[in-house]
Amino acid sequence: MSLVVAEAVEKTFGAGGLFARGRGVRAVAGVDATVARGEALGVVGESGSGKSTLGRLMLGLLPPTAGHVRFDGAALPPPGSRAWRALRARMGIVFQDPFGSLDSRRSIGAQIGDGLAIHRGMGGAERRAQVAALLQKVGLDPRREAAFPHEFSGGQRQRVGIARALATGPDFLVADEPVSSLDVSIQAQIVRLLADLRRDLGLAMLFISHDLLVVRHLCDRVVVLYLGRVMEEGPVSRVFAAPRHPYTRALLSATPMLDPARRGARIILPGEPPSPRNPPSGCVFRTRCAHAMPACAEAPPPLSDLGDGQRVACIRVDEIG
Amino acid sequence: MRPLLLPGIGVGLILLLAMAAPLLPLADPVTQDTVNRLAARLPGSPLGRDEFGRDVLSRLIWGAQASLQVAFAASAIACLVGVTLGLLGGWLRGVAEFAAVRFADVLLCFPPILLALLVVTLLGPGTGTLIFVLSILYLPNFIRVTYAEVLSARNQDYVQAVRALGAPTPRLLGLTLLPNIAGPLLVQFSLAVASAVILESGLSFLGLGVVPPTPSWGLMIRGARATMDVAPTLLLWPCLALSLTILLMNLLCDALRDALDPRAAAVQPRLRAIDRLLPGLAPPPQPALLEVRGLSVEIATPKGMVRPVEDLSFTVRAGATLAIVGESGSGKSLTATAIMGLLPPAARAAGAAWFEGRELLSLPEEQRRKLRGGPMAMVFQDPMSSLNPVHRVGDQVAEAILAHRPEVGAAAARAEAVALLRRVGIADPDRGARAYPHELSGGMKQRVMIAMALANTPRLLIADEPTTALDVTVQAAILDLLAKLRAEAGMGLVLITHSLGVVAEVADEVVVMYAAQIVESGRVAEVFARPLHPYTRALLAAVPDGEHEPEGIPGVVPRPDSWPPGCRFAPRCTFATEACNQAPPALEPALGRAVRCLRWRDLPA
Repeated sequence: MSLVVAEAVEKTFGAGGLFARGRGVRAVAGVDATVARGEALGVVGESGSGKSTLGRLMLGLLPPTAGHVRFDGAALPPPGSRAWRALRARMGIVFQDPFGSLDSRRSIGAQIGDGLAIHRGMGGAERRAQVAALLQKVGLDPRREAAFPHEFSGGQRQRVGIARALATGPDFLVADEPVSSLDVSIQAQIVRLLADLRRDLGLAMLFISHDLLVVRHLCDRVVVLYLGRVMEEGPVSRVFAAPRHPYTRALLSATPMLDPARRGARIILPGEPPSPRNPPSGCVFRTRCAHAMPACAEAPPPLSDLGDGQRVACIRVDEIG
Repeated sequence: MRPLLLPGIGVGLILLLAMAAPLLPLADPVTQDTVNRLAARLPGSPLGRDEFGRDVLSRLIWGAQASLQVAFAASAIACLVGVTLGLLGGWLRGVAEFAAVRFADVLLCFPPILLALLVVTLLGPGTGTLIFVLSILYLPNFIRVTYAEVLSARNQDYVQAVRALGAPTPRLLGLTLLPNIAGPLLVQFSLAVASAVILESGLSFLGLGVVPPTPSWGLMIRGARATMDVAPTLLLWPCLALSLTILLMNLLCDALRDALDPRAAAVQPRLRAIDRLLPGLAPPPQPALLEVRGLSVEIATPKGMVRPVEDLSFTVRAGATLAIVGESGSGKSLTATAIMGLLPPAARAAGAAWFEGRELLSLPEEQRRKLRGGPMAMVFQDPMSSLNPVHRVGDQVAEAILAHRPEVGAAAARAEAVALLRRVGIADPDRGARAYPHELSGGMKQRVMIAMALANTPRLLIADEPTTALDVTVQAAILDLLAKLRAEAGMGLVLITHSLGVVAEVADEVVVMYAAQIVESGRVAEVFARPLHPYTRALLAAVPDGEHEPEGIPGVVPRPDSWPPGCRFAPRCTFATEACNQAPPALEPALGRAVRCLRWRDLPA
């Protein structure tokens, strides 16, 4: 059963207003995405692909310019409203930067307890007990609840961020590149923690990452974004074993692999990613695609179903194999 | 807390003295005694009498009460109102923003003395009027500082995190935003109090402030001015009191700001200059491009000497790539900066590093500078902050050429820069050369950095995490470029990275560092196929590559001031035994490579 459903959501930044010049940036351009209860959906793409914006749209932190997001069957209320505030208890977010995402002036216990104070009106000993339990759950020493963020390492801070997001017992968690600024040895710890928490708490998760390998181990399904559009989506097993979109293939081939046997011929994409302010017509990837032909410039390719939930936005998917 | 002590006691004493004025055995500050007019010293009047024969000490203390009362009250009102308006304006934006900012602008348009004159004329002089005038004068500063701070803080992740929790606005503003912008506000408050004391004195001096005969420091200065040639000390006392108070206030607010910041505790105290040690051991056995032997980096801290890089030895051959890997804090980047001679002043390199037979560490700075950017070059991790934002990138590349080869000439250097930009894969290099750094993407900037490093055809390139900040498809292109340059020009490459995948794909040899030491080194294919050291093993197992579930390494890299006594990896090692904690293991040759582990023979393959 779907918990969060985004239907043709769009987000344009910097458009409108009296003094706005030219077109805005369409960070997300008509994306459909669903996250079922207990499911982990990976969103991969490079900088400028709109993956973080999509995450914030699905959380309701940003209002979409067009389309809409439904959470548990109901449309998301406008940001700031009373209903919106109440809904915050059911959604959590974990940020990328373990340094900037914690308030350096408050103890970690106070920050983890924020959600409990806001939504449960919990105070004093009850809240402290709850915070201690949360710290335990994310693998930190509960006696350190009075410590400040600077006393922790990057990986530990990320655990604090996860505890804060989980305090109110949310159904839906958005993790925005939660391991990208961590050492690989710490990355694996955090990914393992997220996987365990997801299983234990039955969380639905949107996991945003530029690292395909991380997504592969944590997620059930994956969506590949390029310039705010879905290029390919499907179960991780299908997309990683048999990527069908030329962009997914380039992305996978560019990911450095340890095992020489797994390394295919590297596809180097020519040129630079186009500016999101002025995307190419038709298929947005065609300017860097080795298989592009004149027809690709005419209309944005629809997502065609290849079976087993794998869908690809490429008009030449059958020809290029 | 110690920095707070002295200014705190000082300000406290002054406040106490001012408040206790009615209780102290002081002469009445307003009773005139014309007989003893301008007396230098009298029993009961250690500082003498003023032009009306009033006791100077008594007036000084009573005057403090008046002056400080006005200053604190005015600053507090301005702070309270200004911060509220600034917070609402910066957070709610829209109408509140317009109202707060424009209100501050309008207030700022009035010259302060004119505003004071206007209000005093309307309301009549007096302490209340003075407080009102001063609080209006300082209001715009508080509004603007708060507004600017809120604007910069509101998009920080930690603020967004609390917003995502659905915190009500008052809670968010009070608990999260206010404490984080309190530093600049405290400074603003101290400045306001200090300048309010001065302005109070000034306005009273002009007759617009405190009404005589109520004592205030301004009125005392005003009175003393008339008799300056007869009794100069009368001018000295109030001025001294004024300066001392303001100085102590400023010190207190600075100390307060530091004390309220929980991060301050983590800041390391300043480093001491350190002793020079004997560099260099024996000359290299056979000339290689870069031969590093026993390289250590030492930093003297108040807690003693720390060694973030310890006894490092490796060789880079021409045309080969050596990768240095390890977690953050293992000493990788310091190794590179030590070889380049770019260590911070507090750090010092020991050991030896021969570049084409020349020992680098004992070379005078003048000669090292000629090497840097010439035969040996470096590429840094962050291309965003390594390029000068106000110069065109083509000019910056040309500058790198002219720094080492001034004979080339400006025009030829520019042409060469364009050729270099083409070589590093910038499409349309003529246009690219005229671009400013902010007009380029991250990958393009890194290409420009590489072009600058290649400007004088270096024989050794040290690249410190050159692709970490870039997208994978861009990373692939940059690594491809480096491989091509290495093959074409026979350039040696030292690649510092934390990505084992990158190492596997581009390096010939690898040095695995942990806690300042080499734990394993050898040919990449062999080391990755069969890692001997448990740390190398654990690092490889953490990579989410292949079918296995990635496994993390528990714990973190220890800090340089608290290395474990035995093997430094033992506390995190799954194979550690009691012996591992006893004595540090030596780096020993094993199967054609080097490994630092007591138990490498016993470990399961």
